[in-house]
Amino acid sequence: MNPGEPLIRWDWVWAHTSDIGQRVAEHCVLAGIAVLFGFLLAFGLAILIRQQPLTYEPITWVAGVIYTVPSLALFALLIPFTGLSLMTAEIGLIGYTQVILVRNIVSGLRSVAPDIREAAIGMGCTSQQLLWRVELPLALPIIVAGLRVTTVSTIGLTTVTALIGQGGLGFLILDGIQRFFSTPLLVGAFLSVLLAIGADLLLVFVERLSSPWKRAIV
Amino acid sequence: MALTLGRGDRKGATVTFEHASKYYGASPGPSPAVDDLSLQVEPGEVCVLVGPSGCGKTTSLKMVNRLVEPSSGRVLIDGTDVAAVDAVSLRRSVGYVIQQVGLFPHQTVAENVGTVPKLLGWPRARINARIDELMDLVGLDPDQMRNRYPAQLSGGERQRVGLARAMAAEPPVMLMDEPFAAVDPLVRERLQDELLRIQRQLGTTVLFVTHDINEALKMGTRVAVMEQGGHLAQYSPPAEILARPATEYVARFVGADRALKSLALRTLGQMDLEARRGSAEIQDQSISLGADQTVRDALSALLAAGRAEGPVFGSDGRFLGFFTLDALVKSFVREPESSGNST
Repeated sequence: MNPGEPLIRWDWVWAHTSDIGQRVAEHCVLAGIAVLFGFLLAFGLAILIRQQPLTYEPITWVAGVIYTVPSLALFALLIPFTGLSLMTAEIGLIGYTQVILVRNIVSGLRSVAPDIREAAIGMGCTSQQLLWRVELPLALPIIVAGLRVTTVSTIGLTTVTALIGQGGLGFLILDGIQRFFSTPLLVGAFLSVLLAIGADLLLVFVERLSSPWKRAIV
Repeated sequence: MALTLGRGDRKGATVTFEHASKYYGASPGPSPAVDDLSLQVEPGEVCVLVGPSGCGKTTSLKMVNRLVEPSSGRVLIDGTDVAAVDAVSLRRSVGYVIQQVGLFPHQTVAENVGTVPKLLGWPRARINARIDELMDLVGLDPDQMRNRYPAQLSGGERQRVGLARAMAAEPPVMLMDEPFAAVDPLVRERLQDELLRIQRQLGTTVLFVTHDINEALKMGTRVAVMEQGGHLAQYSPPAEILARPATEYVARFVGADRALKSLALRTLGQMDLEARRGSAEIQDQSISLGADQTVRDALSALLAAGRAEGPVFGSDGRFLGFFTLDALVKSFVREPESSGNST
């Protein structure tokens, strides 16, 4: 950073609003794809674990190992295979979502009280009906809780993908670092945090809408 | 195989256990959960399975809706082996109530009650009509309760919803696993009375599990007393179990006060009353008894009044005769012959 320069140069911000807007949009797409497909993958794995409980240990072990790999290293490892592409970014981001999502969906499904499950089976629910009509609605609060943590961390992590040529708010941060110019760096970081908070609030709202019975306690 | 349970001129089905056994682990292990159970429940009867915990009563019950498959032997409903019926459609046609009720907390009372009709694919309007009908039947005001969630109900109300839910598709057989064990004694007594009323009204066959011998004697048309190791010790009407326990174990299980317990099974109307005449004498009495009172309550009233006899009146107020301690004692002397081979 050049001495004597203010932390934020608002004139730069006003001059680049459309660029910043575009970065925000890119960021939302990058993180959105990761959370969406991460959730679908984790959901599939959780259903597999529900049918084959023995797969729980290996699946969560792999997800845990992926989580421990530093993001920079993971992207670097993927480049020989998928290049500096969106695919590389998404594989990394989706990989990181699994450790929390799989565990949360599984423990959500398992949190359904045995008597409720027994009543459902005893009344003639098939395994699928038990899943969709009873287990998932009851697991929803736990699943959404996992989704909130994952969404917030993915939005933060998405900034790193700028290093492998992806856009998003990480581009602004990287730009700031390379030019010793604090304004884009701070704008990028601030907007990333704001996006995360906004997404979290949205999910809280979704959770409340989807479980009216939770609030119906006299 | 399609299931056509009890759809005839009567509503209840026959349930038969034929040498049904269940072993867990090494079979046949040293202690089976259910050991060679054979008994038949006639249409419209209430069969109570009673015994200490671990006697296999719940396991036996679950054989009927195939939550447990017998290791050997079979269970028949109206002559059809349940093992030959698809488990899912079998369960939709057999009502099931458990102690913790197992209401779905994320569904309203109406949604809970409509569970099985919905699974069966009834049209919406028919389900709604049925829900109202059932809620009325179990004493819940549909207008007030329809849209409540289970968390907003009392323990007794939850049991009523559980009962309505189990009866939704007019099952010819209902399985009830300690349905009233978790509610307080006053509520339990009311629920027992209402279950008996509904059961008589509908003619449903009921298999009822309890560990409480008093509940068993009150609810059962016949009572199956089971002992550790899943062995059936006696299967008889309540009066007979009390009058003639088949084994030492049954005698101990029903309790040393079994003669007193039997008093609750008879009403004054069923007793020999002393038809003494003379209205002056009647007016002299400080107590009066009703013919529909149990002998137990009548005896209690006599003891409380410090008397050895009391006049009995019919529900129309007509004097029927005197209930006396002498006659009560004599009724026990004659008991063995009068209620002979009723099994």
